[in-house]
Amino acid sequence: MNSETVVQGLTSTKEKLRITIILIAVIGMYIYTSRATESSILDFIDGWSGFQRIAVDLFPPNWSYAPLVGEKLAETIQMAIIATTVAALVSIPIFLLSAANLFPNAWIHMPVRLLMNILRTIPDILLAVIFVGIFGVGVFPGIMALFIFSLGILAKLMYETIEAIDMNPIDAIRAAGGNTMQVIWFAVLPQVLPQFVSFTLYVFEVNVRASVVLGFVGAGGIGLLLQQQVSFFNYPRVMTIIIIIFVAVVIIDYISNKIRERLV
Amino acid sequence: MIEFKDVSLVYPNGTQGLKNINLKVNQGEFVVVVGLSGAGKSTLIRSMNRLVTPTDGELLIEGNNILNYNHRNLRKLRTRVGMIFQNYNLVRRSTVMRNVISGRLGHTGTVKSILNLFLKEEVSLAYQSLDRVNIAEKLYQRADQLSGGQQQRVAIARVLTQQPKIVLADEPVASLDPPTSHQVMKYLRKINKEDNITTIVNLHFIDMAMEYADRIVGMRSGEIVFDGPVSEVTEQTFEKIYGRKIREDDLVGGHDNE
Repeated sequence: MNSETVVQGLTSTKEKLRITIILIAVIGMYIYTSRATESSILDFIDGWSGFQRIAVDLFPPNWSYAPLVGEKLAETIQMAIIATTVAALVSIPIFLLSAANLFPNAWIHMPVRLLMNILRTIPDILLAVIFVGIFGVGVFPGIMALFIFSLGILAKLMYETIEAIDMNPIDAIRAAGGNTMQVIWFAVLPQVLPQFVSFTLYVFEVNVRASVVLGFVGAGGIGLLLQQQVSFFNYPRVMTIIIIIFVAVVIIDYISNKIRERLV
Repeated sequence: MIEFKDVSLVYPNGTQGLKNINLKVNQGEFVVVVGLSGAGKSTLIRSMNRLVTPTDGELLIEGNNILNYNHRNLRKLRTRVGMIFQNYNLVRRSTVMRNVISGRLGHTGTVKSILNLFLKEEVSLAYQSLDRVNIAEKLYQRADQLSGGQQQRVAIARVLTQQPKIVLADEPVASLDPPTSHQVMKYLRKINKEDNITTIVNLHFIDMAMEYADRIVGMRSGEIVFDGPVSEVTEQTFEKIYGRKIREDDLVGGHDNE
């Protein structure tokens, strides 16, 4: 055997060519989109004065405005709580019906999944616009938008969790004469309860953040204030709102994460 | 009494699980089914509570052909036929008690069971069942905190709580070490004798089959190739069932010396 065999590199020529083509394609795409949108990394330099201006305008925050912000923040959190709780309850039958291991008949789980997929493709802000159109400006359309949005996420996360559970206890409950409801109650729910609580808390976190944006289209909460003050160019007040939202979101995420760590 | 009349089963993928099975098991017998893996032991056992459904023949339990049972009848059948599994099949995050009481589900209405409205007698039956397999002190522990042998005993208690006429055990000791295996087999034997429960156990260990069975049924590629009392069984019988020489790993060894 010839030990002097020369191998040309670690990858074949064909492979090298392929990587080069992909690389050129990616760079080309970047250049094209950058030209088409007339924006590039250089805009940072042009916009530098804007940075300075807004930084000066934002400080110092106007703390006398804080009580009103606090009130609206409470409203935002209340919206998130209502929407999350109702969505969690309503999602239970939906995620059970979507789980192919519980309802193997495709005529049951596919339509339910399809409906949820459709709901999930609608951005939350669009839902809010639609519900504001239906119910008028206020908290209720915001709650509705968050509810639909949460329902889609929870149903998806949960049916995927159920499809990964240990099926053995389910066999055992069936073999003991249990019907579908009893199988679900005794063998399925105990296995997914920690994840259910964890996902619900996660959706609550998402809802608090999402409800900030929803206020911009008149769906209640702290976002409404933010939108007003931004349009009045009242930057000290805007800064107050930003700081309060930031602190609240950090605290809520922290608590929720701590609880979730303990669950699973 | 259980009676198989020309029962065959072909799985949807075309595999023949059972081939013209004829078998009669009397009330109170302790039958061990032996055979290599894939011989159809599991299929045989699982057709008796219709976890799988044979495609041909008649399967009579207490005189009724269970192969044409509807949902309601099936549920009734399953209250009378308990099952023990290789992997214990407990709900690992639930307490021992909750696992054991689930043996009553076939006897309990949906709403009552969901609201935990089990009768006092049922709860005490569950406790007594745990006591019979000497694990009553673990009552409120989570099932996943128990060892394999303990979990299998909880599974036996669950079956006892069901008060079945027949117990099917599908490789109940395959995941256990030899001493624990003997312990589990002893409990199965004990409830068979004390409650006159017909017991059908799948095993692949020869010595264990010989030690606990009244009667041995040998299976090979979906067919019964031997059926007779333990007294008639010799090493040649097993060689015929297995279609090869007996090896070291066909024996569990470790005879119980508690």
